[in-house]
Order: sequence, then C-alpha cells, then structure tokens
Amino acid sequence: MSIFSAWIIGLGSLALLFFAIVHLLVALVLIIPTWRICTRAGFSGALSLFHLVPLIGSFIVMAVLAFSDWPNGEARR
Amino acid sequence: MGMEIAALMGLFGLSSVFALVGLVLAAWMAWRIVEKAGLPGWAGLGAILLTLTAVGTIVPLVLLWVFAFMRWPRDEPGRAALGYATAPAGAPGGRPTSPAALPPPPAALADRRAWRLTGSLPAGGNVALAIDGSASAYVLTGAPMSQAGELSVPDPSVGQPHARLLVAAGRLGLEDFGTPGGTLIDGARLLPEHGPRDISATRTIRLGSVELALSRA
Repeated sequence: MSIFSAWIIGLGSLALLFFAIVHLLVALVLIIPTWRICTRAGFSGALSLFHLVPLIGSFIVMAVLAFSDWPNGEARR
Repeated sequence: MGMEIAALMGLFGLSSVFALVGLVLAAWMAWRIVEKAGLPGWAGLGAILLTLTAVGTIVPLVLLWVFAFMRWPRDEPGRAALGYATAPAGAPGGRPTSPAALPPPPAALADRRAWRLTGSLPAGGNVALAIDGSASAYVLTGAPMSQAGELSVPDPSVGQPHARLLVAAGRLGLEDFGTPGGTLIDGARLLPEHGPRDISATRTIRLGSVELALSRA
C-alpha cells in the first residue's frame, strides 16, 4: 500500500467520523424537543429516535404525529 | 464539458424538486401537528416555510423547541368539558383524583328533580341509587359505601372504583375510570379517554355486568 492511499483512507475515515458526530449532534437537537412532543401526544418518546435515520427520519416522525390519533387527545377542530 | 454542466444542472434540478416536495410535505404535516395541539395550523406551516428565507433553519429549530415546551391550548381547562380532549382520569387501581373543576354545561336544564339509577344485580337483589344535586360528583364503586359521595353497586364485575357521576346545571355526566368491567351508555362503550359524557338523555348505563336504568325521581 502506498503512502498516498494510506493517507486517503486515514483522512476519509476521519471525515466519516466527523460526519457521524455532527449527524448525532444535529439529531440530538431535534430529538430532545420531539421526545417531549411525542410523550405529550401520548406516544413513546422513543418514537423521536427516528431522527437518527438520515434524510427520511424526520419525515417519519412528523408523519406519525400528523396522521395518527393522539392517545392523549387532540384539540377540538 | 457541456454535457457535464448539463448533467450537473439536471442533478440540481432533481434535488431541488425533491427538496420542494419535502418542504410541502413537511409544511402540511406541521400544519396538522400544530392543529392537534390546539394552535392555529398556519403557525406550523409558517415555521416550515421560514426555512426558505435568509434566517435558514435556526428559527424553525428554535420554534420546534418553543412548541415542545410551551403550554398547549389542548391542555387548557375548559376544553375537557366539551368531551374531545381527555380529562385526567384517576390512576387505575388507586383512588381517583378529585374531579377536575368543570365549567357548567353550555345549556342548563330547568328540570332539577333528582336522578335515580335502578337495576337488579346478577347475583340477586336490587340496587337503587339516588343522585340529588347536593354534591357535584359521585364515585360509583363495587365496594360497600365507605364515605360520602360514594355510590355502591355491589357486584364483582364493578370496579372499586368504577366510574364517576357528575352533576351540573341539571345535567348528569358519566366518566369511566377504565376498570376491566367496562362502562356502556345505552350500549355504547365509554372509555376513560372520552372524559365525562352527558347522560341526561340516556335510558340505561351498564357497569360491568350490572344494567342500571336512569330515571327522574
């Protein structure tokens, strides 16, 4: 293995680690309020962990909250 | 070179179409979520559409936090009386909490005669309960009467306590505590999440396996 490809792999894995950490931080910023919204709606707070799924996770959480009947009751419409 | 630029532009176009679809979808869902909490739907829609502006994603993120921790109009007292939102029922098994202070029903009834619940027990014997307006709430229980404000329906299928009767403005309300026997109003099941329901115009209620006819004294 050349020193060049070793560098590339090293930098690449470092970048990957960096992205993973940033993704976790961003997800955490979303998970904390969503956890509270889910529990107030009557769902398990763990539903908010869908935010960890890249790209579509937030849509899944929102879809569940938007299109289900909240076990804890909804405001009269 | 031209091909590459065209391909790149196509990619941008495709991804912006996806972004647009996602934005519209998110705005629609946010509308519905915020409405369920009792806020106007346009607030959720607006929060999502703010991502299009220069303030970017920070403001909607802050709004998400505010939404999560603010007071929701859904939880305001007064809504529960309408029977749509839940009234906090007592902890199952334990003694129920004192009834929430409900505002009087929208239309008071002029007829202020006392209510009567009569029926026969499956094990034999009759039960006759009188509900006058002296208290605003009564607890229906399968246990023998132990304190004021309790009405006993001595049957094993009736929970201890089982349900609550509410008297306000000449009307009678019923609230189920979610015990296994179940509660029926004219054959329709009453669940704890229904909150208190008006049974003034009801013929029969059923607690567990005990059928009680409702009449006026």
